Amino acid sequence: MKQYLKQGWILGILLLPCVASSQNINWENPATEKHQVYIGAGADYGVVYQLGYACKISKSKRFPALLHVEYSFPSGNKLFDDYKVKLGGQVRLLKLGHFQFTAKVDGVFRRFENDFARLINFGSDVSGVIGYYRPKWFMAAETGFDKAIVTNFKHSAMYRKQYPGAQGGWYEPATGGNFYYGLQGGVSFGRHDFSLRIGRVLVQDFKSKPLLPYYGALSYLIRF
Amino acid sequence: MKSSKNVWAWFACALVAGLVFGSCKKQRLMNEPGNLVPKTVDKDPTLPSISVNGALLHAEAYGPADSTLVVALHGGPGGDYRYLLNCKDLADAGYRVVFYDQRGSGLSQRFPKAHYASKPVDLMYDDLSGVIAHYRTSPTQKVVLLGHSWGAILATGYAGRYPTNVQGLVLCEPGGLKWADIVDYVGRSRAFKYFGEFLNNATYSDQFLTVKGEDEHETLDYKMLLLTGRNEITDGDSEPIDFWRDGAVISDALYSYGEASKIDFSEGIGNFPKPVLFFNSAINKAYPDSWMQKIGSVYPQVQLRTIAGVGHDGIVADENAWKNLTRPQIINYLKAL
Repeated sequence: MKQYLKQGWILGILLLPCVASSQNINWENPATEKHQVYIGAGADYGVVYQLGYACKISKSKRFPALLHVEYSFPSGNKLFDDYKVKLGGQVRLLKLGHFQFTAKVDGVFRRFENDFARLINFGSDVSGVIGYYRPKWFMAAETGFDKAIVTNFKHSAMYRKQYPGAQGGWYEPATGGNFYYGLQGGVSFGRHDFSLRIGRVLVQDFKSKPLLPYYGALSYLIRF
Repeated sequence: MKSSKNVWAWFACALVAGLVFGSCKKQRLMNEPGNLVPKTVDKDPTLPSISVNGALLHAEAYGPADSTLVVALHGGPGGDYRYLLNCKDLADAGYRVVFYDQRGSGLSQRFPKAHYASKPVDLMYDDLSGVIAHYRTSPTQKVVLLGHSWGAILATGYAGRYPTNVQGLVLCEPGGLKWADIVDYVGRSRAFKYFGEFLNNATYSDQFLTVKGEDEHETLDYKMLLLTGRNEITDGDSEPIDFWRDGAVISDALYSYGEASKIDFSEGIGNFPKPVLFFNSAINKAYPDSWMQKIGSVYPQVQLRTIAGVGHDGIVADENAWKNLTRPQIINYLKAL
């Protein structure tokens, strides 16, 4: 019981009440505006805040599509040492009555730093959403895989003092991967949407789980 | 539309450039021994080691071989003895000081999680018996256990089970001895702030590094390192202690076992016939005198002492506190045995 944090289970218990964040689209909303800006807060490997922008790139009635960019960062004393940028697109692939299936693909760039190391990573996040959509509200289930494809390690002087042999540089193959699944829902008022997203995260071995094994977010979106 | 395409194109270029740059460099693997964390004794034969109870343990000893044996037990579980090395100067006072990294900890050999499936604490006791047997030169040679934090809990459990195997205990802030007390102490010593840097440093790295198996020790131990942070509750504003390498699997195994079995490390300690020297620290807010008195009450003969000016780790790791406060009291205690 040094000054280390050794037990994931303690963190898990402490964080259970937390609710991450990502853009949730009501595909049935008849709005014609091209641009969307959204903000959110919640839990996504920590208590995070998020800001995003999306732009319709296809007005096709069969395959509407958007491009989006999203910046998120966890809370803490140092606000810009850790962050994540996602840039990608989503497209509706199937519509059967009010049921719809959409696919989303993101390129991910993320950064983490503490007293011992700075990690930067290029990754991908691929997900699918299937749900019931009405003009004023929607409910959907989602599942996806977030892969940390290649990561660059840079160790601090503090860590190199402890272990001079620590090797920095790019580490391959993929250094991480987590599956996630959950539910999302939202309501629309004119140009405004409020949505909630909540779910669970599983490590790729399907046995272990992250210290914070849940994600969730409350988001507000405005179209213009 | 055009600007959206431009943004997308820039990001795609950056991604491709990153991947190409990465692939041009020599590929590094997280699980390659020595890349992220130091090699263990079974991977680096230049490290001092002993073979005990079927495990290769990182270990070394100082001082006259025949004098009273002082066995230092590090904290964690899953820590290592590097921060206890101030105790080496007990050798100058004529004692035989033994350091070892516990099984699966520090630079000692790693084992798969299944290895600890039944009774991992018993393995720890058997290893300690093996270490004592390795360094003891005669049956009459006195043995004193000097435990810090988890090491003090282990020392108490061992002395309770084998009261005649040791002739003295020096204990520094064992969090608790009964499982409920351990959970209580751990909870109070880590009052996380939901919006704090410490908590998010602990959780955010999970999207960068994961394992495909429970026995990828290099990655697991490195991830445990990333959880490290200053703990203002237990250590004030002091710098993190020196360390070699964490042992994530043994740490998890022992906590899981404790939770499942509700283990009581004070069992049998009421029969320990020797005096016990018990330290707390003035700065550790989670270990006030009242807690020391509560935890210390199980020992039949106990001397309670507070080390001023330091926190939990500083009792031993702080050079000034060690030389001027802790060490003199330990030497007086050893002389009186």
